[in-house]
Amino acid sequence: MDLTALPLAEVTDEGVKGAGKAIALGVGAGLGSIGAGIGVGFIFGKEIESVARQPEMKSELESIRWLGFALTEAVAFYTFIFGLIAFFLS
Amino acid sequence: MEQATAPAPSGAPDRDGMSTKAKFFIGLGIYLAVAILLLLIFGNDGKNEEFKPQNEFKLEPWISIHLGSLDLSINKAVLYLLLASLATIFTMVWIARRMHQKPNRVQTAVEVAYDLTKNTITGGSLSGELAAKWFPFIAALFFWIWFSNMLGFLPLPTNTEHHFTLFGLEIPSFAIYAATANIAIPLVLTLVVWLSYHVEGIRSKGLVPYFKSWLPPGLENMSPIGKGAIFVIEVISHFVRLISLSVRLFANILAGHLLLLFMGGGLAVLLGIAALGALTFPLAFAFFIFEVGLVATLQAFIFSTLSAIYIGGATSATH
Repeated sequence: MDLTALPLAEVTDEGVKGAGKAIALGVGAGLGSIGAGIGVGFIFGKEIESVARQPEMKSELESIRWLGFALTEAVAFYTFIFGLIAFFLS
Repeated sequence: MEQATAPAPSGAPDRDGMSTKAKFFIGLGIYLAVAILLLLIFGNDGKNEEFKPQNEFKLEPWISIHLGSLDLSINKAVLYLLLASLATIFTMVWIARRMHQKPNRVQTAVEVAYDLTKNTITGGSLSGELAAKWFPFIAALFFWIWFSNMLGFLPLPTNTEHHFTLFGLEIPSFAIYAATANIAIPLVLTLVVWLSYHVEGIRSKGLVPYFKSWLPPGLENMSPIGKGAIFVIEVISHFVRLISLSVRLFANILAGHLLLLFMGGGLAVLLGIAALGALTFPLAFAFFIFEVGLVATLQAFIFSTLSAIYIGGATSATH
């Protein structure tokens, strides 16, 4: 298939290009944050639930909680960085 | 006493005869009114085309060194790299030299951090001889990343593009930057971790058994094609670790610095609305505390914990 025939490769208008970049950053970072927000909420919610059931596990759960928090939160930043790359570097 | 500690239930009137809710909304109203007042006084200067927020992360070569097509110039990032390394070495050597039976506050703090790296981070995934072998590496990773992240929130005169004069001296503007906010440095750290866990895995299991151990247990009855497909997925997951480990650290620190930049005035300058600064500046304080208090330490913790988990996973008998 000839890729140059696609209209995507033909965008030369600066305004359209800028709008596309802004949409990439906004939608990318925004949707990524939704997923990570739900995930972080789940982690803290489940941790509260666990501590309420077994308060003696509190100290052990703490490091797991931060591990899970950082791993989940990073997902939001992946999309954010790709949005920034699209916005500033393309 | 009881009144002071127990939060007033929302809607219930307290001593002043005003509910917490009402106070909150009055405060918010005053806050917004101040911003709107400032907007009316200073107005809108229109979009600022000169200010480029990405220049905050631009690396100006201070001492230009070029080896062929390789750019080895000394710049801001190199300074931060050196500062973080010096801070790590200096703190550790200094504390080790003057250990006291009755520790002072700095020694206590370092001892707590040492205990964290030894027992929680290394001890959580490695044990015995391996833990003793890899503890210095993992602890060094933790302390270096921590110092690097923390230095990133200390304003230093490194912005050579802009100057200000103080007592006749031209001083570069203060700027915040972190070595870890540049993808190159987390990527190199990740590469070191990535290579060392493979080397350690091969050393402890042998070349072929190590790669065989990538397959999860319970696949003995599977056809070779299925095994091959799962092996491909495992190979991909090992390469994704390169991206996830480095980008996690880099993106967290970069996003933190960008947030501080935009909230601390960048947005107001970019849009030319001075009043917006009044709204965003308190947020900058909140984010600064969040970044310094949580993210800087958490990212160092995560990076070293995952390194320990990877090394532990590569050497453990069952997968």
